[in-house]
Amino acid sequence: MIEELFSDYTLRTVALGAALLGVVSGSLGTYAVLRRQALLGDAISHAALPGIALAFLLTASKAPVVLTLGAALAGWAGTLLVMAVVRTTRVKSDSALAIVLSVFFGVGLVLLTHLQRSADASQAGLDRYLFGQAAALLERDLVTIGLFGGVALGVALACWKEFKLLSFDPDFAATIGLRVRAYDVLLTGLLVLAVVVGLQTVGVVLMSAMVVAPAAAARQWTDRLGVMMALAALFGVVAGVGGAVVSSSAERMPTGPTIVLWLTGLVVVSLLAAPRRGLVWRFAADRRRAGRLRLGAALADLDALAVRHGSLEHGHSVSVLELTAGRGVGRSLAALEERGWAQRTAEDEWAITEAGRDEARRRRGG
Amino acid sequence: MNAPSPALEVLDLTVAYGERPALWDVDLAVPRGTLTAVVGPNGAGKTTLVRAVLGLVRPAAGTIRVFGGPYRERRRLVAYVPQRGSVDWDFPTNVLDVVTMGRYGALGWLRRPGRREREAAVESLRQVGIEDLADRQISELSGGQQQRVFLARALVQDAEIYLMDEPFQGVDALTERAIVALLRELREAGRTVVAVHHDLQTVAEYFDEVALLNVRLVASGRVEEVFTEENLRATYGARGFLERPAVEA
Repeated sequence: MIEELFSDYTLRTVALGAALLGVVSGSLGTYAVLRRQALLGDAISHAALPGIALAFLLTASKAPVVLTLGAALAGWAGTLLVMAVVRTTRVKSDSALAIVLSVFFGVGLVLLTHLQRSADASQAGLDRYLFGQAAALLERDLVTIGLFGGVALGVALACWKEFKLLSFDPDFAATIGLRVRAYDVLLTGLLVLAVVVGLQTVGVVLMSAMVVAPAAAARQWTDRLGVMMALAALFGVVAGVGGAVVSSSAERMPTGPTIVLWLTGLVVVSLLAAPRRGLVWRFAADRRRAGRLRLGAALADLDALAVRHGSLEHGHSVSVLELTAGRGVGRSLAALEERGWAQRTAEDEWAITEAGRDEARRRRGG
Repeated sequence: MNAPSPALEVLDLTVAYGERPALWDVDLAVPRGTLTAVVGPNGAGKTTLVRAVLGLVRPAAGTIRVFGGPYRERRRLVAYVPQRGSVDWDFPTNVLDVVTMGRYGALGWLRRPGRREREAAVESLRQVGIEDLADRQISELSGGQQQRVFLARALVQDAEIYLMDEPFQGVDALTERAIVALLRELREAGRTVVAVHHDLQTVAEYFDEVALLNVRLVASGRVEEVFTEENLRATYGARGFLERPAVEA
């Protein structure tokens, strides 16, 4: 497979295209995730469908640049419509997104069905925009992806601090003179670009996963915006290439769903295994914390018993200690012994040591 | 010679959200070099007043002047400390980075913050007493620390007038004392502070001037002159302000 990647022309084109796509959608998706606009990617991609159909109807061209431009215009129109609805009516943004998404997608499906009835439909290959078909990627598609994606990435880097401030604290940004509305429109426009360049490969239905999932996974591993964006790009590449290569090496396997499976894997691993934020790490931290608490309680119990008996050597049976410290006390006692704070006086009998008393006193704050 | 124009002047300001007025015909003058508290019950328009001054909400009517001129031309003289809860503290960035944002306005497009900006940010952190937290992730801050970060971000702007939206909300006693000390430092340096404030008990201790607001401006002026029981009753309603809890959740 690896060898094929470098020798097979089709496979190389597919992999390269998917990698470009992963970089663009992964990095720009970072802002969508951080600004809580994950659904916007979904609305844009669905809203783009009628644009593709209309572009074909009007120009009779199926050149990817033409279709992508049509998709971008429609996606852009849909986004502006969402913003306008939110601004001028009482409809909240989630409802506005849902309305625009389904209306545009519905219109797109009607147009597509109409086109499919009129002979040259399958020839136009418009249907592959629904679920994506990486195997059909050609060199000129790479140029389209590179062109649109490069512009989007370049602008995002040029406006780095502006976009960061806009995402973190838009009100403050406005007070120091940032033209918030303009940058908001610009950033959303870049997101539109990032979405539409992937439509041919990943498809309208699942493209938003390509935008949201890499960034969501990347957030787990880092607390720095730059690193998060780089990681999201990397995850995008991995999923994009993985999905595209697998789907184009199998018959009739749509690319979008295959990429989404890769993304799912990345997200699941990130949610579970990431240090600090991951579930496994947090579970282990909870366990450690609970263990420390139990250890302290067992030490305090031994100390209290020693005080009551006026003797350090007097041993106390595990079953007595279990009454206050619970059934897990054996492990705490072993840990205390390891630190030299408790000692075994007989089988199943324990006492505090000199060092243990000092420690207990220190913990009491005495 | 004419007296210098006030630091902040609000004339006939009316702001409405939909049909309901949030502020009605408010006139207010904040003298230079004073600490002014804006107090009033919930929904009195305190935050709206601050946001209107900053151009974050569009007034239905009225004029706002900052040091005698329109806000748009005086932006560099104004620093804003928003409510702590207005941002997502899980954003992937650290304390120094957030404070440095205060310098972005002075930096042009494409210019990255450099050593000068970072040094200014560290100095501001020192002023609010958390320079040791510079590299800390903002998600790991306590409420009081978050508030200090926002204050440091405003300080780094080196403004003439500071507009603060509830700087004391939900902070620990230590932070409250630090903020009070900071406000006094600012006053000593001739700066002006306007702060939305909730705790009526401390108004007289912390502030020179007070504006009592309940959609309309009830009274404004020196604390010892206007912060009277009669005015408070007019602001908070007939049942009296003493029923109000001192601290709001």
